[in-house]
Amino acid sequence: MFKNLHLKVGLFVITVLVLALAFLAYVLHARGFFEQRMHLQLAAASAEGITPGMPLTFSGMSIGQVTSVDLNDAGGIVIKSEISQSGAKWLRTDSTFNLDKPLVGGAKIKVSSPDLSSPQLPDGSTVLLQISDPAQEIPALIERVKNILANVEHITRQDGELNSTLANANTITARMSGKYGVLEGVLGSEENARPVVESLKNLEGLTAKLNEVSAKVDAMLVKTDRWLFAEDGVSEQSRQALAQVRAMLVDAQGSLKRVDELLKNAVDISANVKDGTQDLAKLRADIDDSVRKANDLLNDINRMWPFGSDAADMKLP
Amino acid sequence: MEFLLNFVERTGAKAVGWWNTSYGVLAFLSEVLSTLARPATWNRATLDTIVKQIYFTAVQILHIYLIYVLAISWVIITITLSTARDVGLFDAATEMIIRVLLLELLPFLTALLIALRSGSAINTEVALMKVNNELDALSHCKVEPMQFEFLPRIAGGIASVIGLTVLGGVLTLFLAYLSIYGLSASGFQAFSNTISTVFSVGVLIGLGVKCVFFGLAVTTLPMAAGLETPKKLFMVPVSVLRGMMRVFLALVLIEVLSLTLEYI
Amino acid sequence: MKSLADEQTAQVSPDLPLRANLSARENIALIPLYQKHFDAAEASRQAQALLEQLGFASIADKRDPDMNPSERFAAKLARALILRRPRLVIERPGAMLYDIHYPVFLRGLAARYEGKPEKWEVFDFDWNRPLYS
Repeated sequence: MFKNLHLKVGLFVITVLVLALAFLAYVLHARGFFEQRMHLQLAAASAEGITPGMPLTFSGMSIGQVTSVDLNDAGGIVIKSEISQSGAKWLRTDSTFNLDKPLVGGAKIKVSSPDLSSPQLPDGSTVLLQISDPAQEIPALIERVKNILANVEHITRQDGELNSTLANANTITARMSGKYGVLEGVLGSEENARPVVESLKNLEGLTAKLNEVSAKVDAMLVKTDRWLFAEDGVSEQSRQALAQVRAMLVDAQGSLKRVDELLKNAVDISANVKDGTQDLAKLRADIDDSVRKANDLLNDINRMWPFGSDAADMKLP
Repeated sequence: MEFLLNFVERTGAKAVGWWNTSYGVLAFLSEVLSTLARPATWNRATLDTIVKQIYFTAVQILHIYLIYVLAISWVIITITLSTARDVGLFDAATEMIIRVLLLELLPFLTALLIALRSGSAINTEVALMKVNNELDALSHCKVEPMQFEFLPRIAGGIASVIGLTVLGGVLTLFLAYLSIYGLSASGFQAFSNTISTVFSVGVLIGLGVKCVFFGLAVTTLPMAAGLETPKKLFMVPVSVLRGMMRVFLALVLIEVLSLTLEYI
Repeated sequence: MKSLADEQTAQVSPDLPLRANLSARENIALIPLYQKHFDAAEASRQAQALLEQLGFASIADKRDPDMNPSERFAAKLARALILRRPRLVIERPGAMLYDIHYPVFLRGLAARYEGKPEKWEVFDFDWNRPLYS
């Protein structure tokens, strides 16, 4: 029994020692103790949100980590990082380093190499860490887009200015093409012509307003381009969304131009009266469609932020 | 007035009691350490008794322990993974499992198991030795009970906590890897990176030190409680009760202290 | 009583029991093992030899609860003898050997034993004096 006891304890102790040493070796291996690691220094404007241990990822795969964050004598930020040997081959001289700080989940530094044929990044080099935080800038942008769309919606909604104007014009033309036809139009020309002309003026004002809106969106997009795309910081999705806003507004603008033209036609009563009414109905459908598109887009944008920055992240520019 | 006086007196008595207890434990601990430091302690006979103690403390319950670790790890890994998936923090799940399970829960539960099984036995045995005059008999023979009764149990307890934690930890790591990545080597790099992030040199040393303290707590505190027992047989259960309570408090204290040092 | 508990005296007393979870041989071997630093096998051999000399080799593997009073006394006596102290004091033998005529038993043991001390001292109650005559 005693011998058996010693055997069992010996087995236990040896197993524990072997496993402990194996684990130690594994940890040292994982920490890159046995391989030549590549060292990188990242320069950044602020070390906010950067902590030692933060992973560096390439195409979503971890290739290294931040080892230390320090201030140098000049008050600059020095972020030291280590890249595994297998990860180092993905780093090129034109690789970009972005701090990715999602609202939920751990922050990481994303490395992207647009051109894998460019020369390798040498060991110990210093690269620029770009800190763009879409989480902070996008909501302000969205707020402005929302305002504009609310504006458009206000103009074009069922009981809004545009619709009542169109209804007005509709009645007039209906009356013109009614039982007494052109005769009534001619007889009552002075009385009836006035609202038409007023409507027309109204509509011109509206289209001017819409043009203004459209210009605003344009300006904003230019600004956004400068402000986000310059750093390659905003996701593909937000760019697409903004493009959609723009297209939609152009659409609305086009529709309203057609209203304009059509109403010009309406003034020329003797002309194509019947076609005109059909066109007016179609136009209303168009405008409704635009409004719906705008609403959809709003929903889209609401859905995209702040929870959906995964899918587009890995696309290379 | 009398009430106030009574209150002060009771508080004083309690404070003195606590002081005596802590002093007793610390004195015992210092004796343990001085015995450890004496080269004469480390002879073949001591080693033999340590081997015996490791057998009784760790090897005898190895299969039960491994089943228990398997069950607890499996449950916690599963819960962590499914929760992490739900809230979109799957990336952090590996680190969470390693930190919670491997660094904190496993050593703590191991120490608790050994305290329940061996700590209570040690406490009873020492209390009975004290009550039966066996300790006096040994001191009459000039045989230090410290060397052949206490020290091997302490060394065995520490070795057992460390050994079982290592075995359970490795088992948990395998289980975690299998639960996250399945039977494929694809996640190995990411897994290794997480391991390297969590296990810095400081954390490894901290884990070792924590296990040593756990081992010390589950053996020395019951012994000290046993040695305090008055020579009355009916005091043995009271002694075990007190000793085990102190072990529990000490385990919680060590755990809180280690967490404080690690995260604050 | 206090004078008895010095380093020159080995005591056999009802107040100094054997270690309950060790066998008689292990109890005796503790002294050469931890005090005189023999190795385990040698200590065990010495303990066994002493028990054989006293005529109690059969109790070597018995633990305290399994022994009868005479066997328990023999184990305690062997433990005291192996201390090799100048004085051997047997205290209140009646309390340990309550089921036999212990003066005869003690004399028998003393006759078998060949080492030192040659003289054993017995401390007993005065009213037990007739037993020794």
